[in-house]
Amino acid sequence: MLGSIYAMVAVALTLSIGVLRFLNFSIPGLFMIGGMTAWASLRAGLRWPLAIAAALVAGAFASLVVERFTWRWMRGAQDFVPLVSSMAFLLLFEHLAVIYWGSELRTVPPLFANTDWRVAGLVISLPQLGGLVASIALIWALTLALARTRLGRGLRTIAEDSDTALLLGVEINRIVPVLFLISGLFAALAGVIFALNYRQVQPFMGEMVGLKGISAMIVGGMGSVWGSIAGGLIIGLVEVMSIGYFGADFVDIAVYGLLLLILFVRPTGLFAAAFAGQRA
Amino acid sequence: MSAADPILRLDSVSKHFGGLRVVEDLNLAVRRGVRTALIGPNGAGKTTVFNLITGVFPVDAGRILLDGADITATPSRLRIGHGVARNFQNIRLMPHLSTLENVMVGQHCRNRGMGGVLQPVNLVPRNRWREAARAALADAGLIEYERSTVGNLPYGVQKRIELVRALMAQPRLLLLDEPAAGLNPAETEALQAQLEKICIGGLTVLVVEHDMHFVGALCADVIVLDFGRKIAEGSPEDIRRNPMVQEIYLGAPVAQPMERHSARSA
Amino acid sequence: MSGYLEGIMVLLAVNVVFAYGGFLPLAAGQLNLGLAGFAAIGAYSSAYLSNVFKLPPLLAIAFAGIVAGTVALIVAVPVLRTRGIYLALATFALGQIVQAIILNLEIVGGAAGYPVAAFIRLPAIAATAVVVVALVWLLFATRFGIAVTAVHDDESVADLMGIDVRAFQVAAFALGSAIAGVGGGLYAHHFSFIEAQYFNISLSITIVLYVLLGGTQTVIGPLLGAAVFTLLPEVLRASANWRYVAFAAALIVLMALRPEGLVTGAQLRRLLGLARAQPRHAAVAATLPKEPSG
Repeated sequence: MLGSIYAMVAVALTLSIGVLRFLNFSIPGLFMIGGMTAWASLRAGLRWPLAIAAALVAGAFASLVVERFTWRWMRGAQDFVPLVSSMAFLLLFEHLAVIYWGSELRTVPPLFANTDWRVAGLVISLPQLGGLVASIALIWALTLALARTRLGRGLRTIAEDSDTALLLGVEINRIVPVLFLISGLFAALAGVIFALNYRQVQPFMGEMVGLKGISAMIVGGMGSVWGSIAGGLIIGLVEVMSIGYFGADFVDIAVYGLLLLILFVRPTGLFAAAFAGQRA
Repeated sequence: MSAADPILRLDSVSKHFGGLRVVEDLNLAVRRGVRTALIGPNGAGKTTVFNLITGVFPVDAGRILLDGADITATPSRLRIGHGVARNFQNIRLMPHLSTLENVMVGQHCRNRGMGGVLQPVNLVPRNRWREAARAALADAGLIEYERSTVGNLPYGVQKRIELVRALMAQPRLLLLDEPAAGLNPAETEALQAQLEKICIGGLTVLVVEHDMHFVGALCADVIVLDFGRKIAEGSPEDIRRNPMVQEIYLGAPVAQPMERHSARSA
Repeated sequence: MSGYLEGIMVLLAVNVVFAYGGFLPLAAGQLNLGLAGFAAIGAYSSAYLSNVFKLPPLLAIAFAGIVAGTVALIVAVPVLRTRGIYLALATFALGQIVQAIILNLEIVGGAAGYPVAAFIRLPAIAATAVVVVALVWLLFATRFGIAVTAVHDDESVADLMGIDVRAFQVAAFALGSAIAGVGGGLYAHHFSFIEAQYFNISLSITIVLYVLLGGTQTVIGPLLGAAVFTLLPEVLRASANWRYVAFAAALIVLMALRPEGLVTGAQLRRLLGLARAQPRHAAVAATLPKEPSG
């Protein structure tokens, strides 16, 4: 389950890196915004479809703000500037959340009580299934869009060479915000799924959970959507296994240890070669 | 003058990038103390030759001998210590260092070890390395710029600073990649004077240039490359008259083509 | 000195030390997102040394700096083989791993945190900060400073000029980590209690951000960045969270308008009357000027 959440965050990250060469550190913050807005909306009495919608809107909006102030404002500046600004945005979002909602851990009310199914010895709840279905569907839709639509072609052209893209008439200023929008939606939705399944949110959940999406992205292969999915599943699996063998406290060591190992041994990621032709 | 003992020798050097053979079985020698030009049309491989000599790329075949020593396998970092320094076609000074500090970078290969690293060049007022660098700048007429940010300086000034930086390594062989490009006539003359002054000390200079007038005025030897191979060498006069060379540059052998050029730039 | 003022000054001193821990690698062109991890190594090892072996705090902190620097040296070899974004991510992973390991080390309290018995006050802390700043300033006044800046500006040309790029990168990384460790040790011995949760990615990000705020082109930039970060919110009486919001917002604006930070090299030279803003183009006699250099 967590695997699909990591995969969604990883996809959001990989889109930015693959197309814009920009490690968007604000994405864990968008993850948190999605999760906490969902909680806040439910607490305020909204029904769950509206709560989810509110969370997605908040995430998308925040993402567009990031776009405006990291990417749009400083094209052509030094390499590290967008990364640094995105890190500042992470801090910004986290502390605004603390100011607005307090720093305590909050519980999300259960949505669908008693809707667990037993399938082949596994217990699956509706939120789990819903989350899984939603993430698979969205990622599939994304890959279709990247392959078939004009937007997708534009994104892939920019990824290849942004100068050529300009020459070919790709309207970078129109497409890039859409990219940020998609990233934001994925990150926020991942946060929503987390909130509804694990029923806990707090302003620093981006650091706790969202950052592992970076590990998933790198392990799977930077810039590859399918790699991100694989990476997410791998990280999820690594977590489960390390809990099983070493205990819950070891999880972070395993996840980040794997990241470090991949960075040393095969920085392009496990599946970069296999998916080379299908870069986001 | 001993013609027998070249300061630089390339023996059957080849380099290819992917399928493209940029340098092909190249044999050349630069005589000690003789100002030599390396010319050829664009894409002939001239800058690649420089990159091979300084170790930016490893050779695919052949040997490079600097003053008798085989530096073919020497890491690029150590080659300047062997006595070969260079400038760059597109000026590459360090933007965050002042002019004087940029020049002092050239001393680094001579100021080795921990004592070198911890040399208090910016701390002790009369540090000898710093004074030596200042003297070199003064010699080149550039002392007024010593503390300026290099990025704001005129193009011609930056080129001359880069030259001083290379000289600070006290090389035996100086590689100059289009040193006159982009300079106005006054600056070109100043550069020529600076180079002639340097060469009195016995420094050998290998110049890549397109300005044939500059080459003719400065160099005693000319080596011509085309498609990564040496196709001619000799004095500037010989090269001017060489029908093969004329063909590469002008498309067909022409009687006395260069005279018109020199008359125009005189 | 009132307790409140002393607290601010201590925080300033610690932040200054952290700032120079971040400055060293940045000056060489590396982004160390694992700074908090090295600070944690310093904090915990110094606390352990003073708690268990009863070492005087300053000695324990000095040792802790060496420990942090040594760990950095060991990981530098593989880590610095990565470049750019991969390097930043590797240091990020490193920081997370250190934090996770400490959370599991029951010998130093694990998740419950680790109380520190010995206590040091402002004079010792300020003195340490002054020593760190002086050492870095001295170091950068030698060829080390020139070489590191050359490596930062243009690795390939620096290499061709005979500078051992890798060695300087490792040195900057290890020294910066050692300094961060010292900062962690200072923190531990004044706030009397340390927990792994404090040494998180947010701390690393915050340090990097205030170093960049001050500017990495001069040795005084980090000092200024730490000072602005620590003191300005106090002057404005900002709450803990609003100060971060304001700081982050200010950084975002700064990165757009003036990414070099508050103090640039050129500016400093002009400020100290050392360089003319516009070079003169008049003919200059090739004699050495008579004013003192340096």
